[in-house]
Parts: sequence; structure tokens; C-alpha cells
Amino acid sequence: MNGTTTVSLVGVGGQGILLAAAILAETASAEGLDVKASEVKGMAQRGGSVLSTVRFGQNVWSPVARHADVVIAMELLEGHRGLGLLVPQGTLVCATTTRIVPGSVLRREEEYPGDLSAAAAARGVRLIAVDAEALAREAGTLRAVNVALLGAASTVLPFAAASWRRGLAAAVPAKILEVNERAFALGRGAVSNEEVGP
Amino acid sequence: MERTLFFSGNEAIAHGAVRAGAVFACGYPGTPSTEILETAARLEGIHAQWCVNEKVALETAVGASLAGRRAIVTMKHVGLNVAADPFMTLSLTGVNGGLVIVSADDPGMHSSQNEQDNRAYAKFAKVPMLEPSDSQEAYDFVAEAFALSEEFDTPVLLRSTTRLSHGRGQVIPRVSVVLEPRDYARDISKYVMVPQYARLRNRLVLERFQKLRARAEESSLNVLEAGTADVGIIAAGVAYTYAREAFPKAWFLKLGMSHPLPSRKVARLFQQVARVAVVEELDPFIEEQVRALGLPVVGKEALPADGELDQDIVFRALEPFLSRRPPRRRRPVFPPAPRLADTPQPAAGLPVRPPVLCPGCTHRSVFTALRRHKLAPMGDIGCYTLGALPPLLALDSCLCMGASIGMMAGFNKALGRKAAAAVIGDSTFFHSGVTPLIDAYYNEADGLVVVLDNRTTAMTGHQGHPGTGLRPDRSQGPTVDIKKLCEGIGVRCHTVDANDFGVLDAAIKAEVDAPGLGVVVALAPCVLMVREKAGEILVDDERCNLCGLCLDLGCPALAPAEGTVSVTDVCTGCGLCIEVCRRGALSYAGASGAGAEGAR
Repeated sequence: MNGTTTVSLVGVGGQGILLAAAILAETASAEGLDVKASEVKGMAQRGGSVLSTVRFGQNVWSPVARHADVVIAMELLEGHRGLGLLVPQGTLVCATTTRIVPGSVLRREEEYPGDLSAAAAARGVRLIAVDAEALAREAGTLRAVNVALLGAASTVLPFAAASWRRGLAAAVPAKILEVNERAFALGRGAVSNEEVGP
Repeated sequence: MERTLFFSGNEAIAHGAVRAGAVFACGYPGTPSTEILETAARLEGIHAQWCVNEKVALETAVGASLAGRRAIVTMKHVGLNVAADPFMTLSLTGVNGGLVIVSADDPGMHSSQNEQDNRAYAKFAKVPMLEPSDSQEAYDFVAEAFALSEEFDTPVLLRSTTRLSHGRGQVIPRVSVVLEPRDYARDISKYVMVPQYARLRNRLVLERFQKLRARAEESSLNVLEAGTADVGIIAAGVAYTYAREAFPKAWFLKLGMSHPLPSRKVARLFQQVARVAVVEELDPFIEEQVRALGLPVVGKEALPADGELDQDIVFRALEPFLSRRPPRRRRPVFPPAPRLADTPQPAAGLPVRPPVLCPGCTHRSVFTALRRHKLAPMGDIGCYTLGALPPLLALDSCLCMGASIGMMAGFNKALGRKAAAAVIGDSTFFHSGVTPLIDAYYNEADGLVVVLDNRTTAMTGHQGHPGTGLRPDRSQGPTVDIKKLCEGIGVRCHTVDANDFGVLDAAIKAEVDAPGLGVVVALAPCVLMVREKAGEILVDDERCNLCGLCLDLGCPALAPAEGTVSVTDVCTGCGLCIEVCRRGALSYAGASGAGAEGAR
């Protein structure tokens, strides 16, 4: 609304959601945009669902928003949950090969959801399904799933490649910058080669 | 019946508590509250103890209430600042046995460092406040307060001031209250204030407040007293006695229950008379609420907002106002019931993902050992609070930082046996667990305290504390040894390796069986700080019958498979599942009864 874009990053505590959000915020900032971000930490860190929101535009007031234009989901179940956050015609970028099974499913009290593309199609949402684990492994570390996925998401966000480079450099610790740059590039490259739904 | 007695307000409160069936009284001395507990200590049928401070006193009283007994806790006004942490969340949990908190305020600061008006706390916590105006009411209102506490499932504030506490008057004793005994039953959604349950309780508090407002309208504690003059006065506590003497012909709305305000009774007073004044010491607490109804009232523009009142001050201040031409009559606008926030609905058909204890977390070992005994485990605040949730169900309470030990002590004191234990993290122990341990020792409470010493403040992201000596910049400072600290107090203390379940289990059993008070420090660094895996766990599918004992640990690394369990790749190899398996179906890879060593 009012020229403000909202991106929500969802996943499970420990997946590097806050770092991905920081890179995104720094990148938007490098574009000269007004940026606001918020996240809920604390109890959610112990294996709970985590939600981080980044908003950018000419003038951004509120740090939160009920709906997002783009949802970046680091895990399949959280991707399903993230569908509920999207505006109509929004885009879901999801690491569909990453499954972190919650206790209730392990105990067989609840069922892990199935096909995401059908659920996305039913809602009229564009889905970009990414095998982020494979890309991260290719980059050199499984821990870079978050940044590989962000690279994939970069294809639907209005930022120049140079701004992404500045965003990465500003948010990622120097020691692990190189591997994350690789993961980002692999993610960015993967999308154009993949089938993009719906 | 019995002869009329002549009691100070404080003596009357103590006698009133016994008459109301309270069996537990505690507090910290502070003028003008001190004699309440001193009197209670001389009476039959009630246990009275000084506590180390007001926070611990309230937590101890909460423990007694949880055990199903009526408990009263006394302090001066500034004492409630010290007890504010348990007090604010106690409003959410409510009570089991009735719980009355006496706040003795000191207008004029005869013996205090400030003059705060503790009626603000009643509003802050959305709990009822009773304000007796003389010794008879002090005696009678205690029983009213206990009844309200149990009916509305809330702590009740009983406010005294210096002139009530230290004033004297006749008291006609009443027949003792006959109580139905209340049992203790675990109810985690009521007593464990983790966010998911606290949100539910908070809504109940808001609904309770609306019911209390309705009760204030019909309560016989709030009396509209007819007069002959065309003026009305709203007053509570001793201020009522001053106003009554200064204006004998006035109408009165006498508030025995000063919070919540009975708005419709206020409006009825305005229908009777041309001019209305509020007579209250200190803050314009009632006055502001009357003005918010849109009713013109005389208050602090005439009466001093500091110090004590008396009948002369009240008369001289109000006489000119009350004889002036009355203001135009206005219609009151009653406050609407507030709406509640929409509760977000979880996405239909998708599994929830609540936070859980990490795989390999040694808190799980402590809970497993503790669950083998019939003690109500009082919990505290940290990662380990998650142990209260299914499937572990290992903690019964979570009130505020450091509350576990005081609650355990009060619970056990009230029942006269070791019926509760306390579980507290190392950082929380340093935060506010030391004072209640001193208190439990001083008051000879039975109990078992388990300190979960994972060498960090884990929940918030591994910050340092005095036990580790780590500073925010990760440099090393001096450290405090928990065992030496406990032993310095005089409390028996054992430190055990929480990674060694057999030793941990035996230490907890020994302390459960031992008389008196003991501490077990379950020591093991937070599993998130330990990178190496202790070993590979293998499952013997032939022996496993999927009984669920290991799954009840709530470990994210264990999952049921076809007729057996499977160990997922998040396993840290802690081996607790091996300990609880009764069929020997789980073992370390490469081990032949030698534990983890072979696998490392």
C-alpha cells in the first residue's frame, strides 16, 4: 500500500531468517529507500516458527504489516503457513525440499502438509519452488540455505545486482561472506532455469 | 456473642484473617503494616512468618494459596514495589485458596521514603481493592476480601493507611467462616504463564474486571447513605471518617470497595444532590474516574494532594465550594466495556510448531528424574519453562523470575510436608533465587531445589551471569560458585553432572527422601554451546515395541516409525532415551555396555 513493498521471511528458529532479513534490509537501504523491519525473537528461537518482516518504499511508517507482497519461506510447512500472509497475486519463494518436521507430526498427532504448488495455485499465488539445500551444498555449506533462497527471491525484487552485493557485504560477517555470495548467485541463477508457477 | 474488643486496625486485620479461615500469614515488616503479622504470630490457627522481602513473601503466600489454603501477606506501600513482579502476573493466574495482600500506605510519610498511593496498583493489575475505614471494618473486610478472591479467582488488595493501622476502635467479633477444603490440582494453562497461556488468562482478567465492576455496583461494601443537605461526598478509608465528621448532614457514597468504582452508584448520588465532592488522601484516584463519567465534582482543587487529611482540613477546604451555586446538572456517560483484540486463527489443517526443548538438552534429564517423584514442581523462567508443556508436563507453575523457590516453600509450609519442589535456571537463580533460598532456610521450609546450571542465560541467546563471570564483550570476570553460596547460607547442596543420568537421578531421589531443604545443582553446559555429538544412537527394531516411553521425552530427535522408533539427524547422542527404555531397544553404536565412550 502507498508504494510500500512488504516482504515476510518465515521458517524455523535457527535457519538464519534474521540474517536473510538483514541482507534484504541493507540492500533496500543501498537503493536509497526508506526501510523498516521487525521480528519476534525469544521463545520462538527454540525450534518454533519464526517470522521476520522487511518493508521498503519512499516513506515507510509501520514496521509491521498483516499481508506481504513476497513471502520467503525457508521450509515447506512454513511455506504452506506463509500462503496465508500473501496478498492476492503475491509471490511465494519457498525452499520446498527443506522439511523440518514438528513434534506433533513426529508423534503422528498431525500430518505434514503435501503439495505446495497445488495449494499456491488454489490461492492464485505465484510459487517459486527452490531446492535451496542443493544450492547451498553446491556453494559449500548447508547453512547458506537462507542466502541461496534470498538469491532466488532477488529475481522478483526490484533491486540492482550492485545493491545486493552491498547488502550482503553489510550484513554478512566477513569470514563467511564469500560462501554466501556464491550461494546467493546460485539461487539467483537457479530461478530463470526453473519452472516458475503457477 | 463475645465481648466487644478494642483493636488497632492492624490487630483487627490479623484477627479478621483468622476468623476468615486464613492459615498462612507472611510479610516483611514496614511501618505502618508491621503489627498485623506480629499479632497473627500470637494467634491460634494461623502460621505467621517474616520473609526476607516482600517479593518472596508474596511468592510464599502464592505457594500456600496454590496448596489450597487461605493466605494473607502484609507489607507497607513501598513493599508492593518490591513484590510488583509476582503481583502483576498473579492477577493473570488467579488463586486457589483465597489470597489477600495488605498494602499499608503512609500519607504524610511519618515513616517512609515516599508517599505513593497504592490504589494505582489495583488499577494497574485490574484487581479489586477494599478500603476499611475503622477497626471493625478492618476486621470484617478481610473475610469479604477472601470471599471475593475465591469467587473471582483473583488476588485482592486490602489497603490500610497509617491512621487505620495505628488507630484503635471497637470490634465486635463475628462467627468464624467455615471453609470447604480446596485441593491442589495441576492446571498448567492457569498457572504456567508462558505466552500461549498468558494470552488466554489476560482475556479472562479483562472479562473478570467487567464482572467486578458489576459486583461493585451491587456490593453492600459500597453504600449510598442519605443525608439532609443538598451536598454529597464520595469517600473511602479513613478519609470517609473525616468527611463524615466535617459534614454530618451530607449525603455519602461510602466506598468499601474503592476499585473498581461503582459508576452507577456515583450517578445516583449526583441525582440526589446539587454538589458532589470527593474526599481522598493523596492522588485524585476516585475524582478522575468521576470526572471521566462527565460529572462535575470538587476534589483536589480544594483538598491537598499531599499529606494526611483530617476533619478540619476537609471542612475548611470544602465549605466554600459546597456552598457555591451548584453547577448545571449533567448526564453521566458510563464507560463502555472495552473490546478485546481479535485472536489470530492458526492456519487450518497445518501442524503447529511451538518452541520445544532442544534435542540433547539436559533439562529434559532433570525433568525425567523429577517426574519419578510425587512432588508438585514449581517452575521458573527460562528455556526450561517449555518443560511444562506436553508431552513432558514437568512443571506446574511459572509466575515470575525467581518465584519457584518461594512458592515451593509456601506450598510445603501450608501443607506441613515436602509436597513441592522448585526448578530454577542458573541465571534466574542469581536474578532472584538466592533471597527465597535464604528465606526457605530461615523459615525452615522443606523442599528440593534443582538448579539447572547450563552455564549461561540460554533463552535470550547465551548471555553471561555471575556464575559464569562472562561480560557482554565476552571477557571473563570473577565468578560466584552456586554450591559455595548455598552452603554459605547453610543449605545442603550437591553438584552433579547432568549428562550422567544415573548420578542425577540418584541425587534427586536422595534429596526427595531427605528431610528438610536441599539443593541439587544439575550441571551441564547448554547443548547449543556443545558442538560435538556424544554418540550415535541405534534402535533395535526387534526389541522396540513402540511403548512411547522415549517419545514422552518430547525430544525432537525421536519419531515413531512402523512398529519402532527412529532417531533423526538432529540427535546429539545425549542418551537419555537409552536410560528411559525398559526393553534395552536403544543403545550407542559400538557400545557393549560401556556407554558413550566407544562411540566418541
